[in-house]
Parts: sequence; C-alpha cells; structure tokens
Amino acid sequence: MNQDAWLAALVGELRRHGVGPDLAGHVVAEAATHLRDSGEPPLSAFGPPGSYARDVADSIGAAAPAPRRQPPGPVRLDVRGISKRYRRHRVLNDVNLTVRAGQIAAVVGANGAGKSTFLRICAGLVSPDRGEVHAYGSLGYCPQDGGTREFLTPDEHFVLIGAGRDMDRAVARRAGRAHAARLDWKPDSGRLAGQLSGGTRQKLNLVMARLGEPDILLLDEPYQGFDRGAYLDFWHEVWRWRDTGTAVVVVTHLLNQLDRVDIVLDLTPDRERA
Amino acid sequence: MKKIIVTADLALREIARRRTVLVVLALLPLAFYLSRRGDHLGQSIRFVCLGLGWALSTAALFAGSAARPIEPRLRLSGYGSRHLVLGRLLALWTVGLVLSLPYYLLILVDRHDVRYGAIAVVMLLTVAVAAPFGLALSAVLPRELEGTLVLLIVVGLQMMTDPATTASRALPFWFSREIGTYAIDHTDSGYLDRGLLHGVAFAVLLTALVTVAASVRLRSRPHLRFNPAP
Repeated sequence: MNQDAWLAALVGELRRHGVGPDLAGHVVAEAATHLRDSGEPPLSAFGPPGSYARDVADSIGAAAPAPRRQPPGPVRLDVRGISKRYRRHRVLNDVNLTVRAGQIAAVVGANGAGKSTFLRICAGLVSPDRGEVHAYGSLGYCPQDGGTREFLTPDEHFVLIGAGRDMDRAVARRAGRAHAARLDWKPDSGRLAGQLSGGTRQKLNLVMARLGEPDILLLDEPYQGFDRGAYLDFWHEVWRWRDTGTAVVVVTHLLNQLDRVDIVLDLTPDRERA
Repeated sequence: MKKIIVTADLALREIARRRTVLVVLALLPLAFYLSRRGDHLGQSIRFVCLGLGWALSTAALFAGSAARPIEPRLRLSGYGSRHLVLGRLLALWTVGLVLSLPYYLLILVDRHDVRYGAIAVVMLLTVAVAAPFGLALSAVLPRELEGTLVLLIVVGLQMMTDPATTASRALPFWFSREIGTYAIDHTDSGYLDRGLLHGVAFAVLLTALVTVAASVRLRSRPHLRFNPAP
C-alpha cells in the first residue's frame, strides 16, 4: 500500500470511527508530514489504517457517536393494525408502528416473518388485508434488490430519480455524488450499473432512496454485499440522517446495531418466540 | 413534460447500449425482405413491414418487462404512470422510425412502380402500433418467455392468414397487408381507407390499454395516506 492509498484509507477509517472532519484533517496532515519527513513506509510507521484510526479514536474518546441532543420531532410515519395473508399463511397480524422525525426504527424477525412485506406495505407497493399507513411528508424507499437499471450509469440513475423529485439534471447529479461520497464511493461516469459489484450497486440503491431528502426513509436490508467499512459508513449515514430529522425505518437481521436505534419492531410470530 | 422527456431519454440510452440487440433488430426486417426478394417483390415489401413490426414489438416487450422492477420506486419518487408509459413509448417510437428509414430508402431504390407515400404510411402505422403492442404484452404477460411466444403466434398468424377473412382483422398488423396492397397492386383507395382506420384504431386502443394497465399496476393504494409534513 503506497502512501497516498494509505492516507486515503485513513480518512475513511477516521470517519467510520467517529472522528470529526477537523480533527481527522489534522491527524491526516500530521501523518502525511511524518511519512514525508521520515521516508518510512506507512504500514511500518503507523500500521494498518483501521488500527491507527481506532487508536486515535480511543485516545480522544470518539469511538461511539455522540449521543443525540435533539428530542424526537413530530410523527412522520404512523402504521395502524396492519394484517396481511398470502393464501392461508398469515404473514402480518395487527402490526403497529409509530416513527417520529429524528428516530430510527429497526424491523427485525426471522426469515419469512414479513419484514419486506411490511416495508412494501408502508411504501404503498403492496396492499394489506387490513390496516392503514399515514405518512406525514415525502417517502424514500430502498428495496433489497432490483431497484437499479443495468444499462444506465449511476449519474443517469440520479437524473432519473431527481426528475421525479423536480430536480434539474445537474443538481441531481451533484446531490447523488455528494451522497455517494458519504458512503466512500466515487461513481465512475462511464460505468454502467450492471458492471458494478453487488455492494456498490446497493450503495447506488441507497443514494437513489436518499435523493431529494425525503422525510421518511424505508430501507430494506440495504447493506447486502457491503464490506465492513461500507457497513460502518452506512450506519454512520443512518445516524446522521436521524440527527437531521429524518424518520428512518430499516429492515435488518443483524442485531449488533439494535442498541443504536430508537425503536425495535420484532415481527417474529408469537408461536416461534414461545 | 420534463419527467416524460427524462424517461424517454434514458430509455433510449438503454436501448442504444445494447449493441447486439440493435444489430439483430436492424437485420430482422432485412431477412424478411430478402426472403421474397427473388420471386415476389411486392410480397417482400409486405414482409419487411411485418418484420419491422415484429422487431419493434419484441424490443418493446423486453423493455417493458425489464422496466417493471424499477417502476414502483419511480412512482414513489414522483412520477405518474402516464410519464413512464409516454416516455417509454416516445423512446420506442423513435427507435422504430430510425429502424424504418433505411428500409424505406431501400424500397425507394429497389422498386419504381409502387406508391411510396402509402409505403411510408404503412411504416409509420407499423411503428405506431408495434411499440404499444409489445408494451401491452409485457403488461399482460409479465414473464418474457410467455410474451415472446404470444408475439410469435400473432406475427405467424399475420403472415399465414388470408387478409380477406373477418377474423384476420383482429390481428394488430392487418392494416399493413391492406395498405400494402393499395401501394403495390395499385388498387382503389378503399384499401387505404380501411387500412388507415384499422391502424389508427389499433394504435389508439393499444396505447390506451398500456396506459390503463400501468395506472392500475402503479395505482396509489388506499391504505397509504399522505399528509403534509407538520
């Protein structure tokens, strides 16, 4: 790993470990100066970027994101008494959920518990047998897969979604690229979505959902194919969205982040829990 | 209007990037034309029009099926079903016109005793009908294989049935045989009138069918109620 690549990786790792941009800038500048003056290879001078960033974060006590100061805002999504059956199989039974501005709700449950169906009902893509959903504001939806077009570039996806949200082409492209950068991704303008890796395509999916800054974000396991760094970036983004007042509903089966969310909706059927 | 133009623009880009598909689409009508070029030049003109219709309907069928997964999220992003349908139709009509032009020029060079204006009308109507026909099939039969088989049956019937029978008028490209006869055999204008009426009626009906099918599939579900953000 050469010096530039190491420094670029350090920038990403510092962000993932919750080090603010100002301090991260100082740390990177100091490391760059040291490497230039000493001529040492970065790995022998500082070790892997992830370890060094963790040491920096530990030394300043920034490993965990700062607790939120803002109390939750008004109700954004109000789900009442949702029931759904597929033939004889009952998938959802009288499910309720209220999410306010500045809250994250995690929807968990075993495979087949109806997590994706629940989210599709919230997005208005599937009709329930009973119940209703009240959305206070605009909705953004990130499906588990299949939300992109194989023969379009990422920029064209941003333009496509942006036009729906009344954004100009240039504005949509800029906004999409800004969201992509927060996920540590710089879209290659000549590359089609079909040529992207699974994880990068999911980043594209996520950016599309976020375009136009909807008030409510519905995310259906959006981190499929993410590596560890991208997964951490994703959660940092979710926390940032929450802190800016977005109501986020995320379907997940990874339970290690549940202590960082505000509401947990477990759709596991009672008979399985018993 | 902006949403329709963006949909059309991006749909065109997608088609343009499928080079192999474009080459096959462009050559299919030529194969139809050459199949009867030696023994019956008039028939080769009728066949090339059917070939254009088949090629464009197939392209529309696959474009419609491929677009289905992303359409719900586009609807959620602010598109109406009419934006998506009209945008896609505009793109397909453009592809159809671009495909037709070289064949029109070919007939212009290769034949000197036909009514060129009527040939142009057949080609325009073929493009107008083929695009919504393929999209309508993709709306009714979401799986591509089923849609392709139905398309095969329709075009096969179109080539084999006697155009004088009443039943053949139920086929979407019947007008091409009728106007083709007017253009090639210099028959009376009744052929042209019947063909025009048939072609325009099918273009309008199929476009309406595609629009209605999309608005039903992408309808706002009554359980979801949007309220302004407080």
